[in-house]
Amino acid sequence: MEKLIEILEDLQPEVDYETNEELIDGRYLDSLTILSLVSEIEDEFDVEIPTVEIIPDNFNSAKKIWALIERLKEE
Amino acid sequence: MSYFKSIYLFVILPIIALIYNLIPKKRQWFLLLANFVVFYIMGKFRLIFLVLSIISVYFSARFIKKAEDKKEELLKKKDADKKVINEKIKKKKKLILVLCLLFNVAFLVVFKYLNFFSTNINLLLNVFNVNYQFKMIHLIAPMGISFYTLSAISYIVDVYNGKVEAEKSFIKVSLFLSFFPQIMEGPIARFKDTADDLYSGKKIEHNNFILGYQRIMYGFFKKKLIVDRINPLVSSIFNNYASYNGLTIFMGAIAYTVMLYMEFSGTMDVVVGSGQIFGINIPENFRQPFFSKNVSEFWTRWHISLGTWFKDYIYYPISLSKPLKKLTVKLRHKLGNHYGPLISGSIALFVVWFLNGLWHGAGYTFLLFGLYHFIMIAGGNFMGPVFVKLTDKLHINRENIVYRVLQSIKMSLFVFIGEMIFRADTVKDALGMFKGIFTRFSFNFSELSIMGLDIYDYVVIVLSVIFVFVISLLKEKNIDVNDKLSKKKLWIRWIIYYAFILMICIFGAYGPGYEPLDPIYADF
Repeated sequence: MEKLIEILEDLQPEVDYETNEELIDGRYLDSLTILSLVSEIEDEFDVEIPTVEIIPDNFNSAKKIWALIERLKEE
Repeated sequence: MSYFKSIYLFVILPIIALIYNLIPKKRQWFLLLANFVVFYIMGKFRLIFLVLSIISVYFSARFIKKAEDKKEELLKKKDADKKVINEKIKKKKKLILVLCLLFNVAFLVVFKYLNFFSTNINLLLNVFNVNYQFKMIHLIAPMGISFYTLSAISYIVDVYNGKVEAEKSFIKVSLFLSFFPQIMEGPIARFKDTADDLYSGKKIEHNNFILGYQRIMYGFFKKKLIVDRINPLVSSIFNNYASYNGLTIFMGAIAYTVMLYMEFSGTMDVVVGSGQIFGINIPENFRQPFFSKNVSEFWTRWHISLGTWFKDYIYYPISLSKPLKKLTVKLRHKLGNHYGPLISGSIALFVVWFLNGLWHGAGYTFLLFGLYHFIMIAGGNFMGPVFVKLTDKLHINRENIVYRVLQSIKMSLFVFIGEMIFRADTVKDALGMFKGIFTRFSFNFSELSIMGLDIYDYVVIVLSVIFVFVISLLKEKNIDVNDKLSKKKLWIRWIIYYAFILMICIFGAYGPGYEPLDPIYADF
């Protein structure tokens, strides 16, 4: 989780990832940042994020992104 | 047909609602029948194409489910070769998906784009002196084909991707694709948005009924006091732009954008309100778009269901395809976090806006409209960090209210030009108007008085727009006037209703001299 927050802060520093729960709905992460984020996560955590998983529900908070990574790792 | 017609508001909607509520059970069957009857009558008997679409996605989804079940069964066997089985079933699923997509897109192409393609091929044949011309076939597209086809595609793709379970009930899939308030102009709903509500067949609730009709009244207000009143001004400027000064042409672009917004969002008020009466939460298609910071954000708040459709089914699948993902990774190391994904993002963005233009209609003005937005949004992405640095250097607080208002004004100016291209009859006209704005500097008040509008019209339009602006501003601050009004005491509500109805009757545009505008989006 710490590593993920590090990645997020590197991509978009002006957000408090511990508390923010509307990263997508509040437009804190735009579509270009998502492209970077997806490739960075795939590199770092050795998972593949299918495009169908790229929905606000999976990306609206650091916790949700982490849950997605955990789920993909299990699969 | 328009949802603003009396026949819809005072006959079709109340009669369907009444019978629906009188039926003791299995109301969903009646609702489906009502959908088909409305489509059959209003859609000039082209019901067969809607039914074919429904049948194709329903059975394709079921076949995909069957293939999945078969996979599970095969994998349970002791000597199962997982890789081979997975590959085999994946291929089978893909084949079903592709056939279903081709079948549905084919209708769209034949009805909407055949003549456009034929005209262009004929032009090319002429250029190369080939003595052959494709014949023009004049087909009338089935009502709402651009909307229900995208909903159908979203369902089958979601089933293929395992995001949605293949629905067993044929009625449920049919209801999802044919709900009568939604069929003509969307929103392009997803299966999980509306299908359960539609299928539940629950009785109409008093509060929903009030909320629904209030919302419909608000849409009717936009249409009668703004759209129909402003229409003559828009027509006369766009039809004779060459004889007007630059500022008048620009006012025409603003007037058209206001009209388009009021017409489409007003229709959505009627659509969402109609759904609400039946207890169905139709997703919102607008979220106060003119408060956006830039053009990119604008398109996440205007015709939301189309934007999210393109994002989910075109933008991400392309920008995150294997080769582009590789490119992003490579470039990020060289160009950093912002510019790294820009190339992949821009390629996908170009395809999105090309298709977005084409979706709106088979014509070069629509393609130019798409190209314009691609340039605006890609340019904005490219310049984004530069503006951030610039504002930082100038010590400008980007959250400051004045800065935010200026951002929204700048964004609106770009949108006005975009919508001007959208409305222009030809690309030549669009470019001519654009040139006129920037070359014919002068303004003559008399130009505004010869467009069929008098001072009374202007006062009504301006006050009504201010009214809508205030309601939108409150919504932006999370204050829902519709909801607040529905909780007021009965007598207070009725005083407001009467006042509102009276206002629509007195100040609405009726009779000679006005041209009630046909629904704009129903043609797409």
